[in-house]
Amino acid sequence: MPRFDYVRAHSVAEAVQLLGDPEILSRPLGGGTDVLVFVRHEKPPYDRLVDISRVPEMKIIERHGGEIVVGAAVTYTEAAESPVLQEAAACLVEACLSVGGPAIRNAGTLGGNVANAAACADSLPSLVCLDAVAHLCSRSGERALLVSDLVTGANRTALQRGELITHFTFPVPPAGVRSAFTKLGRRNAQAISRLSMAAAGRLDAQGCVDFVRLSPGAATSQPRRFTEVEAMLLGQEPTDELLAAAGSQTAEVMIGMTGRRWSTEYKEVAIQALAERTLRRALAG
Amino acid sequence: MLIQFTVNKKSVAVEAPADITLLDLLRDYLGLTGAKEGCAVGECGACSVLMDGRLVNSCLVLAPQADGSEILTIEGVHAPDGGLNDLQENFITYGAVQCGICIPGMVLAGEALLLETLTPTRAEIRTALAGNLCRCTGYQQIVDAIEATAQQRRNQ
Repeated sequence: MPRFDYVRAHSVAEAVQLLGDPEILSRPLGGGTDVLVFVRHEKPPYDRLVDISRVPEMKIIERHGGEIVVGAAVTYTEAAESPVLQEAAACLVEACLSVGGPAIRNAGTLGGNVANAAACADSLPSLVCLDAVAHLCSRSGERALLVSDLVTGANRTALQRGELITHFTFPVPPAGVRSAFTKLGRRNAQAISRLSMAAAGRLDAQGCVDFVRLSPGAATSQPRRFTEVEAMLLGQEPTDELLAAAGSQTAEVMIGMTGRRWSTEYKEVAIQALAERTLRRALAG
Repeated sequence: MLIQFTVNKKSVAVEAPADITLLDLLRDYLGLTGAKEGCAVGECGACSVLMDGRLVNSCLVLAPQADGSEILTIEGVHAPDGGLNDLQENFITYGAVQCGICIPGMVLAGEALLLETLTPTRAEIRTALAGNLCRCTGYQQIVDAIEATAQQRRNQ
């Protein structure tokens, strides 16, 4: 007897009907890179996997005017190879390229990364940095939530039973904004993030910061923009001193949220350097 | 459930449970034992196969997900006469094979790269192999073998 059943969805409408079936408890299956690891050791808390990895509507990466739309079944490889994202969301492309190795990137999806909501999920800081909104669909309708509100903690989301992340949208950053992502792992490939950082920024004609975003990964239980740090940078010239101060402020905000833990001694200095370096890349004139 | 796909250019239809991996389907139902189970969690690459031209870890693909796709395993990588192909010959020439357990995956990761480009840098070759672990060779010889094959295929 198989421990669970499998069915392939061919459209969002079909997926939502299958996922919302009151008779059969179902979960979405994307690239399988988290689900397959889980079901190997645990008794799955569902009776059926609904494969959404080939739903055409969920594979798109498009620019619609001032907005980018990225389907939830887009793989890390597809995201990284997308000219649309390379132009508008370098931080997301860099984050996708930092995931696992080629075989993981060919399978794992952005929707899966967000729904699984691991504290170390590599796409989260970049999506949050871009102010990405997750669009959810279920039998009872559609709703949209900021990714930073959808992820409520490590491996916890506001997703309800039968709800599917169909796609993400985010505003095209203003002209001239650059973004960057840095990951700190134990090695380059196949590494789990110890800490990561996404930043975006732009300098005005006077060389002062007129746009800035900062979003650390694996630092706080709920991903968020560190607006306290953004505020101290805005309107200022990004001198070495200011960027160092921004690094210190980033560490302070993190510790303010998490308290001091066994790992803080390491993370405090590491996040300072990571914030400083990532901001430097994003703000490089 | 019935799972139908193409493996090494041959159409197959296999009756198998829905909850097994593509790796188990290949090994236990089709007798294709070239892909190995190393870590079973997508970290070692010993189970690498190409799915619709892209390298994947077959231990992380649910068997029915392969339905309708084209799978290439190491058994499908060979010269037209059935012998070793140029990449496999180069693995031997450059001393890239020791214990051998990672080699089917390494060859497929190499083929996946060479499908994309015949002018890879050494850094690109290393990136292409980043999900395939080898505890014997230290990788140098494997990179050499892929680099030499790229060069030979360029000149063909």
